[in-house]
Amino acid sequence: MMPILSMIVLIPLIFAALALLTKTKEQARAIALAGTVIVLLLTVYMYFNFDSTIADNQFKELVPWVESLGINYHLGVDGISMPLILLNAIVLPLLVLFTWNDDRKSPNKFYAFILATEGAVIGVFTALDFFLFYIFWELTLIPLFFMVSIWGGPNKHKAAIKFFIYTHVASLVMLLGIFGLYFAAWDMTGTPTLDIPTLIAQFQFIESGIAKDMIFLALLFGFIVKIPSFPFHSWLPDAYTEAPTAGSVLFVMLKIGGYGLFKIMLPMLPFTASPNLMITIMASLGSVSILYGAFLALSQKDLKRMVAYSSVSHMGYVTLGAAGLVSLSVSGAMFQQFSHGLIMSIMFMSCGIIKNVTGTRIINDLGGLAQKMPKLAVIMVLTFMASLGLPGLSGFIAEVSVLAGSFVNLPSYVMIALVAIVITAAYHLWALQRAMFGVYNEKLGTVTDINTYQTLSMGVIAILILYFGLNPSPVLEMMLTNSEQIVSLMAVMGV
Amino acid sequence: MDLMLLAPEIVIALTGLAVLLIGLFLPTGSKKILGYLASLGVLVALGLTISSLGTEALVFYDTVSIDALSQFFKIVFLVVALLFTISGIKYTEGNSNTEEFFALGLFATIGMMFVASANDLMVLFVAFELASLATYALAGFEKNNAKSLEAAMKYFIIGSLSAALMLLGISYVYGATGTTSIPEVAANAGILASSPMGIVAVVLLIAGFGFKIALVPFHMWAPDTYQGSPSVVSALLAAGSKKMGIVAALKVFVVALIALQAEWQTAFAILAVITMTYGNVVALNQTSVKRMLAYSSLAQAGYITMAFVVLTPLALGGGIFYALSHGFMKAGAFIATAAVTYMVLSENKESPDPDHIDNFRGLGKRMPVTALCMTIFVFALAGIPLTAGYMSKFVLFSSTIQAGFAWLAVIAILNSAISLGYYAKIVKYMYFLPTDSEKVAEPYPYTVAMVVAAVGVLAIGFWSEPFIYWAMEAAKVLVGGM
Repeated sequence: MMPILSMIVLIPLIFAALALLTKTKEQARAIALAGTVIVLLLTVYMYFNFDSTIADNQFKELVPWVESLGINYHLGVDGISMPLILLNAIVLPLLVLFTWNDDRKSPNKFYAFILATEGAVIGVFTALDFFLFYIFWELTLIPLFFMVSIWGGPNKHKAAIKFFIYTHVASLVMLLGIFGLYFAAWDMTGTPTLDIPTLIAQFQFIESGIAKDMIFLALLFGFIVKIPSFPFHSWLPDAYTEAPTAGSVLFVMLKIGGYGLFKIMLPMLPFTASPNLMITIMASLGSVSILYGAFLALSQKDLKRMVAYSSVSHMGYVTLGAAGLVSLSVSGAMFQQFSHGLIMSIMFMSCGIIKNVTGTRIINDLGGLAQKMPKLAVIMVLTFMASLGLPGLSGFIAEVSVLAGSFVNLPSYVMIALVAIVITAAYHLWALQRAMFGVYNEKLGTVTDINTYQTLSMGVIAILILYFGLNPSPVLEMMLTNSEQIVSLMAVMGV
Repeated sequence: MDLMLLAPEIVIALTGLAVLLIGLFLPTGSKKILGYLASLGVLVALGLTISSLGTEALVFYDTVSIDALSQFFKIVFLVVALLFTISGIKYTEGNSNTEEFFALGLFATIGMMFVASANDLMVLFVAFELASLATYALAGFEKNNAKSLEAAMKYFIIGSLSAALMLLGISYVYGATGTTSIPEVAANAGILASSPMGIVAVVLLIAGFGFKIALVPFHMWAPDTYQGSPSVVSALLAAGSKKMGIVAALKVFVVALIALQAEWQTAFAILAVITMTYGNVVALNQTSVKRMLAYSSLAQAGYITMAFVVLTPLALGGGIFYALSHGFMKAGAFIATAAVTYMVLSENKESPDPDHIDNFRGLGKRMPVTALCMTIFVFALAGIPLTAGYMSKFVLFSSTIQAGFAWLAVIAILNSAISLGYYAKIVKYMYFLPTDSEKVAEPYPYTVAMVVAAVGVLAIGFWSEPFIYWAMEAAKVLVGGM
């Protein structure tokens, strides 16, 4: 069989190298489009051959690498990673189309970084060996760092460094956790292995309760910072806001923190020495993020910053749903990652366009843009509605599953999150109303509507938001299979 | 006795003598051939050493031991020597003393190789001195350059002092145990441990080796010497000579004086932490790239010293593996600097600081191959995944956690994070800062040496299995003495 997973990881990386060698914008964007479209086609092929009724890893590839340390080149996908790969594969070609006519310095590097990020992120989703996982995990940092520090806004250097140091320290803590797990298992079994499923399975046999909790918390810290969750979210607004539009979208595609939560943390959770404490930590971080992020978003003057904070709030649902520990809440949280990726892409694209045509993102300086930019307005209204959770759109399915599911085990945390729903609706509608509707602000001069490429790329994503809002089962089914398996583990342990 | 066992050393010695002799009869213009001859000799010796991996023997009345440890380190030294001779071809171009340069480099290599296989403290000391004396002269190779002479002077005075301390330490060991043979010292080290002489010997030996490995606070000479010496020689010093200190210290402490473990283990823990932290913090502020690399070399020595603290087979293997990776990375980085220095000096003979970081501006456009190789080296030194540096750190740091020294691993990992600061600065200068200078032709031999080193760095990073296996075999030799 064809090594399809290696291909979807390596093709973007190879095309990134090719893009780097190009001289002109036309060549670079063509290579970027070709690379991302090939990945999309392969992913679609994989999706249709994916068995969503089993929770096991599929399309596995296993090649021994460094045997004396138990390192293997081991790839596989399951119901947790498949939708996220699909999300990346769908959005990235559209992102390339979105930037099709932009003029910027060093287009070769720009498209190379987009492709490198795609390869690295898909690498994280497919890696079944901690060594490989960590390599891809760190590899995602580098192109994003340059993305912000080369094409970013006025405070790009500060934002890039802050993002890099914050998440690098978090990954080092995660690395300590990986080492702890690796050696604890090595001492027990006498053979070294960095295989993720094996190590997760052996976690329960570690004798020392303190060791188990330390390992769990170290890994959790690495993931929580990446999600990001309150109180480790402060890198996010700067990085998301200062990044160029494409960079912000890439940040949104970076769902590796939440992925780690489902793939690694939840199967280990019932076997920690104090599972209830861990659940409390996750649930409180999640619900506080939802509320705190919403309040921060409400107080922002800059549209893009508001969107960035709304991202903190929305990602809180992921953490809360994971801690909810019933299959409805867990699969809802997974679906939130998927839906949030689609919604936020459009939100950031809109912010980028508004900044480009009007020269400002300050909400108060805008006004009445819908009259001049009807196409953008339609797409934006749909997305804002999805983001605030209007039934019929994908955001609603995710949030309602998380809240309803989590209510079973964590009613008080859900109550906190419910308060946020009102605020969420308030800042979305308020921003939309002031920026897009009302009297047109004549100071903005003449503005033109989005071009065909932008309409196409945003339109396709908008249609997907609507489609998955009406019929989530194409991805929700496989998420449910995996979350049921996770939850059944909890039941066995009586958590 | 089978002379084939010593074939690599014999080849190097004969090559060194041949280079010296032939050089006498050649006019300056055609001395380039000597560099090729030296490189060929090193290559043959390297091939012989690799083919003899796995043999075990004791020769010269048990004073020289051929085992996995000695062969592994010989490979390290020969690789560094190869990079040194290849890049030396360009460096010595038009110099009337070419034969001395290569002969001294080869003699230093023999010294290092004998240190690696020494099974007797006296052989170890003599070989150590052979390597040191040759490198003192090499450091001062630019006779008209005051900085080079200062570097040689400092290195010589401090090196001699450390040799004296080391010899005094060895004499205490001999006085207590009555033997200089390393296995017999190990067998009788109990006597040393129970007398105050043990402490004195350990203190003297730590100071002696501390100078050579450049552990803080015995490091004062290193930045000046690495900065002042010709870059190609700095590569030999940082990548080769320093590793010699490490293998000698491994033999003396981990094999011979393991009974006194309690006395030296804590000392090495403190030295490791101070050295890596000091090296990384001071490196952050350097504007001379060679000086920055010198301080980064301190930090790397600090990491390797962790192996002396942890002392598990995995940690020792990790330290030895790190030594190999460091040989490639650091020699490569110094040679890349040499290429830049050469370029700057050929543009302007009077340039006061040819290795100033400003000269790296826009290097990605001016010297694309050099810039790419330098990027690989500094990323490897910083421990970016898929390079030799990452694999070595992975093994070494993880072994530290395994042995329960989590605090040490945390300090080391934080240090790695700091080090990224100055390594990234070099990359920033090369690729992101503009320059108005033109593209220049890259000196061919330097490019070859750099590409060899870069391929090595990536090969060890991707295909680590055989390297780790042999490092672990080498560690078993040490642990066998425990």
